[in-house]
Amino acid sequence: MAVVLKGAETFIREFFDQNPLSHIGLVIIKDGVAQRLTDLGGTPDSQIKALMAKRECSGDASLQNALELVCDYLGQVPSYGHREVLILYSSLNTCDPRDIMETIEKCKKDKIRCSVVGLSAEIYICKYICEETGGSYTVALDESHFKELLLEHAPPPAAIAEYAAANLIKMGFPQRGADGVIAICSCHKEAKVGGGYTCPRCKARVCELPTECRLCGLTLVSSPHLARSYHHLFPVTPFNEVTSMPLNKTLRKTPQACFGCQQSLGNQGSNSVLYVSCGKCNQLFCLDCDIYIHESLHNCPGCESQRESRSYDAKA
Amino acid sequence: MASSAPPPKLYTDDVSLIVIILDTNPFFWGTLSNTSASNFSFSKFLNHMIPFVNSLLLLNQLNHVVLIAAGVTSCGYIYDSATAVASDGGQKVPAVCSEILSRLEEFVAKDQKLGNGDLRTVGGVMSSLFSGALSLALCYIQRVFRSGMQHPQPRILCLQGSPDGPEQYVAVMNAIFSAQRSMVPIDSCVVGMQHSAFLQQASYITGGVYLKPQQLDGLFEYFTAVFATDLQSRSFLQLPRPVGVDFRASCFCHKKTIDMGYVCSVCLSIFCKPHKKCSTCGSDFSHSQNEQLDRKRKLSEV
Repeated sequence: MAVVLKGAETFIREFFDQNPLSHIGLVIIKDGVAQRLTDLGGTPDSQIKALMAKRECSGDASLQNALELVCDYLGQVPSYGHREVLILYSSLNTCDPRDIMETIEKCKKDKIRCSVVGLSAEIYICKYICEETGGSYTVALDESHFKELLLEHAPPPAAIAEYAAANLIKMGFPQRGADGVIAICSCHKEAKVGGGYTCPRCKARVCELPTECRLCGLTLVSSPHLARSYHHLFPVTPFNEVTSMPLNKTLRKTPQACFGCQQSLGNQGSNSVLYVSCGKCNQLFCLDCDIYIHESLHNCPGCESQRESRSYDAKA
Repeated sequence: MASSAPPPKLYTDDVSLIVIILDTNPFFWGTLSNTSASNFSFSKFLNHMIPFVNSLLLLNQLNHVVLIAAGVTSCGYIYDSATAVASDGGQKVPAVCSEILSRLEEFVAKDQKLGNGDLRTVGGVMSSLFSGALSLALCYIQRVFRSGMQHPQPRILCLQGSPDGPEQYVAVMNAIFSAQRSMVPIDSCVVGMQHSAFLQQASYITGGVYLKPQQLDGLFEYFTAVFATDLQSRSFLQLPRPVGVDFRASCFCHKKTIDMGYVCSVCLSIFCKPHKKCSTCGSDFSHSQNEQLDRKRKLSEV
């Protein structure tokens, strides 16, 4: 139980890091019923606090009750939002009051994507749910594998075109208040000094972003929150492997260095991959820079150091 | 790196790796030195910057300084104190100076040659390739992280003056978030005429210091007072605090800053007025506008 809770906490933090505009809610399956642990919220702290409080397990698990609860719960999400369920399931069976196939049809109709991470053995009904709704079913082998499988669900999946209804959502970008300004904040209902953000529509003070203004309902975000998701939309193209030193005479004779970190390349055996090159700017990178660029930085230094090749120049 | 690595116990908390990003945009420096208010040219700037590099190297034997230049058409490494060869052993300080100057000259000449004939200025101002230089700095810092358990504490210092190029926004934000994850502070010193929103956000998000000096003639004093200290000692110092960070977004259609806008749910582009179609991803919004009108009608009936 402690392993699962710790894994869930790491997942929640990583999820909000990758998807700052999303919301998470928690549901517990116990004694054959499903209970709502927390409401859909946009910050990790309230979720993690509720998670750390609950610790006992008892009784049977009912997948159908859980899915029914989730369908009602996610019904309040607007149509442009993506709805997903991630189930951490350790039981080997499910005790359901009615036909679970109907519930699965309902989930499909509501466009809810269900994924399961199994903790014991592979179960057919879990596999069926995931296949029907377009989710992924994985079974953990040990603790580190479990963490790995959980964190795979943090980056957003590719959206299915019919599911994604395009909407223009009105959002506010509040300014940060100066130090020393005293105001009553609308979330805690107490006077606060300094900091805080002012809703541009109704001028209420909120403590942190992203949030929804309690008075006028405007979604308040800051531009870094939107920018955190841009790399999912404009990913770096994978680099091409270069396995051996090319034999053509046009290349310089001097030993090459990685464009990113200036480490010298090409001291390994001729069979292994020596370095990689970017398809757009033709700069060479070492394998470590390749991993860093694609997993964390999401910019190709070579393409950014050139004025011509800009993939999103059209909208600039 | 050096032929024999120094023993690990010498890497105390105050050993730093400082990666300095220099703005070598000739359009900006030309404009600055022609303004009557300040007669500050690139060579005067180097007169402040090179003694600062030397003083950083003198603060601690293991301090490591890397210079990266952000030009108009290219970016490149100028100087790395770990690989610099000290000619006439003992004459280290003048050797640093001459090496930096000669490499900078080469870089600026190459930069100009690369861009000849193809540079279109947008409204008369030209931005430098700051995002490229920042990405190079972060790749170098990752290499230092990989070198072992004992390494200097890295930080980045940006000496920028050119205006922010809005086409670099996504790349700069990606780099900032990556620096935040690796816990590398980005300090900024703006020598240009206007504040830089990119650098303000970078320093705020990563926990660095942002400064726009009032007197450019005293630049060396600003450098040594604010940017020379290592990260460990910063908790004991009263460094310039962020005055007000502008987190407002700019709309994709007119590039003006807005505090309330419309966001496309598919590609997160920001617009100041409702449109029928998203210009970035081509998504159609016409049916959803009817939804909003229906909701308004229902509310007005109630």
